[in-house]
Amino acid sequence: MIKPITGLGPHGERAASPSTLKISEAQAELIAARRYTIAIVLHTLNSDWSKQILAGAAATLGRHSAAIIEVVDCQFNGAQQNHDLKRLSALRPDAIISIPVGNADVAEAHAQVQASGAKLILLDNVPTGLMPGSGYSTLISADNFGLGAIAAELLAAHIPARSIIGAIGYDADFFATNERELAFMRWMENNRPDIEVRQVRFRQKELAGKATEDLIKSCKHLEGCFVAWDEPAAGTLKTLDAFKMDIPVTTVDLGNEVAAALVSGHLVKGIAAQRPYDLGVAAAQAALLALIDQEMSPWISMPGIPVTLENILEAYQLVWHAPAPLEFRKAVRRS
Amino acid sequence: MTDLPASFRDDDAGLSEGLWVSHGKIGKREDSERQSLAQILNLVRSGVANTRLEIERISGLGRAIVSDRLETLAKTGLIDEDELGPTSGGRAPRTARFVEQRGLFLVAVLAQNSIGVALSTLAGKLLVEHHEPLDTSLEPALILKRLKTLFTWALEQHRKDRDIWGMGIALPGPVESSSEQPFASPRLPFMPGWESSSFVEELVTTFGAPCWVRSSIEMMTVGEMLTGTAQGVRDMLFVDLSREFNAGLVLGGQLFQSAQGRAGLMGHIAVSDDTSTLCKCGNVGCVEAIAGAEAVVRAASQAAQSGHSPQLAELLENNVELTVMDVGTAALMGDTYSAELLSRCGRLIGTALASLTNSFNPSVIVVGGTLPQSSDILLASIREAVYRHSHPLVSRDLRISRSQMGTSSALIGLARSVADEVFSPNILPRWIVQGSPVRNPETAAAIDSVRAALDRADKSRPPPMERVSA
Repeated sequence: MIKPITGLGPHGERAASPSTLKISEAQAELIAARRYTIAIVLHTLNSDWSKQILAGAAATLGRHSAAIIEVVDCQFNGAQQNHDLKRLSALRPDAIISIPVGNADVAEAHAQVQASGAKLILLDNVPTGLMPGSGYSTLISADNFGLGAIAAELLAAHIPARSIIGAIGYDADFFATNERELAFMRWMENNRPDIEVRQVRFRQKELAGKATEDLIKSCKHLEGCFVAWDEPAAGTLKTLDAFKMDIPVTTVDLGNEVAAALVSGHLVKGIAAQRPYDLGVAAAQAALLALIDQEMSPWISMPGIPVTLENILEAYQLVWHAPAPLEFRKAVRRS
Repeated sequence: MTDLPASFRDDDAGLSEGLWVSHGKIGKREDSERQSLAQILNLVRSGVANTRLEIERISGLGRAIVSDRLETLAKTGLIDEDELGPTSGGRAPRTARFVEQRGLFLVAVLAQNSIGVALSTLAGKLLVEHHEPLDTSLEPALILKRLKTLFTWALEQHRKDRDIWGMGIALPGPVESSSEQPFASPRLPFMPGWESSSFVEELVTTFGAPCWVRSSIEMMTVGEMLTGTAQGVRDMLFVDLSREFNAGLVLGGQLFQSAQGRAGLMGHIAVSDDTSTLCKCGNVGCVEAIAGAEAVVRAASQAAQSGHSPQLAELLENNVELTVMDVGTAALMGDTYSAELLSRCGRLIGTALASLTNSFNPSVIVVGGTLPQSSDILLASIREAVYRHSHPLVSRDLRISRSQMGTSSALIGLARSVADEVFSPNILPRWIVQGSPVRNPETAAAIDSVRAALDRADKSRPPPMERVSA
């Protein structure tokens, strides 16, 4: 079910497995005795992805007697993130786990974290110019390049020859979504050159529906859509419903809303899933190992999972570390 | 992809005597005003001087000339004099600042199994970068197609109506510095299929800027020297340990460039009398044939299939094929076969590195590439063998570090290299009056000549077979 890693890290690194972040018994004793404090800075606290990251990180840190002293919601805002990182430095946490919400605009604030003596673990994105070792300890992310290719393959299976499809991307300089978009386009170019891909972008996830509307209006014969991740995909689904269009959609991240659409058979035909809970576990382990000066690979990554109606129940368990909701199980049985 | 007539590369369009031959002489266009403008711009750009007083003192130019030239440079948008500097008692002096956002450089590195692209400011600061796997043994037309797509993507991200002032491409092999020409592809005998390729001409006409070609190992070395763990070190050895082993050398703060650009073929240092493994160079005993990434993966796959390593067998089952990162993971999980394999390879690599250490006495060895990323065991074994086989006089203060830059080092090195060309004392005076190299009529004429030559070559080529049969 799990695909091999196909992408490279932000500096061209080969991915290392999260299993390289194993904490030995002796290390665990040392870590527990030091009672580290950790702050977590996320782009949002409302998404299913963020909730799972937090759950994985909290469980792991708790197991090693490390306390999360602050959880920050930056609301996708670079200025807010810069302000929060400065504020956190006054609390002097031992380490910060952060997802940079931008590139150059948040680079300086992130560079200051490690310069001030705290360890910095990055999630999903590295501001250009920040180097592993000097600027941060490691990057933890899914294989976003692989996720884009999976989403392309899942969509292509439902697209007739010589059709036009839409790629609805995030209009921000962000490593993870850049990788997905580039891989999606590359897969289509290499494997389905008969398909024409029209690209549109949204600046905020709430505007994905409007971007979809623009796409529909500019292209009368749209035969399918890819959306960069699950939350904006929900907006795309609403717009497609409003236009009474029944075309296949694929996206990234097994959030509950798109998963429900997949099991209902309505619009969503496939999802390229990452495992945010496990990413949270890896981020926490990396923070603890960095604090005891354990060297680690600059990019720790996990491969993506192609999810369809056929495997959604198993995939849901793998992603959420919980059984799929009852209505999903019923719907799968009915199908 | 178009094959150009051989004569084009040498003489056509008058390029060998024209604007962009960096090693040529300026000739008739030389005049003192242009020279002083270029001198002042480079003083400010390099950070050597940033107040009028400092510029007068270092350049030896008079106050009126400095004032006039700074005004001209401000009008072109290359220099900004809005900020006040620190005062030493009297009125605070205005400080001149190079406006690095005035234009952009596009740079790309073809590494052994990947491609990386970046967009940089004129000071070589990367604005956006992307790396992805790519089989560099593919035909050049396919690689060029992907490169153009990625360059276009990078420009969409950050262009903001700015001109591209130059491009740089780093290739995985030697590039002769004597063949340097920013409007024509160099001869690349080491890259099968690229010998007749016109990739530079294609890029020049697509993106409207000159393009310099470099070797990726040299650019990685420059990048490490500029911003990596060897920053500021005057004598440094950088080694890329991947499928092939290559080395770059910095001596006295300068990149060492050999006669044909072929120095640093470290992978072909003999470390064994074993005749069972033939290197692709035709020799036996070469360190990259015995301890390179391909050799490691081959040995690991055999161990997985023969039952010598249960961990590798499990990884092989999950991943279809093994990578050096898998071998590193297996070693970390306690697989004795993988640990011993990496340790043995590390010792062989260290033995080869010791001979370079004895010859050049570097202060720092930076180890990059996929192999050192795989495991600390390999790096520890490299260190052990280097210290064991080097003379105490050269190893006493030697530091061996793992590169943290990945292939970003090549992109950073390339951006600096392109900047050095565009602002070189030979070239800068030619375009400084226009304020941009690509706004210079001679540059436009050179690009038009390249385009015309490509068109001529296209027309002279026989039509494809499909068209004939249709």
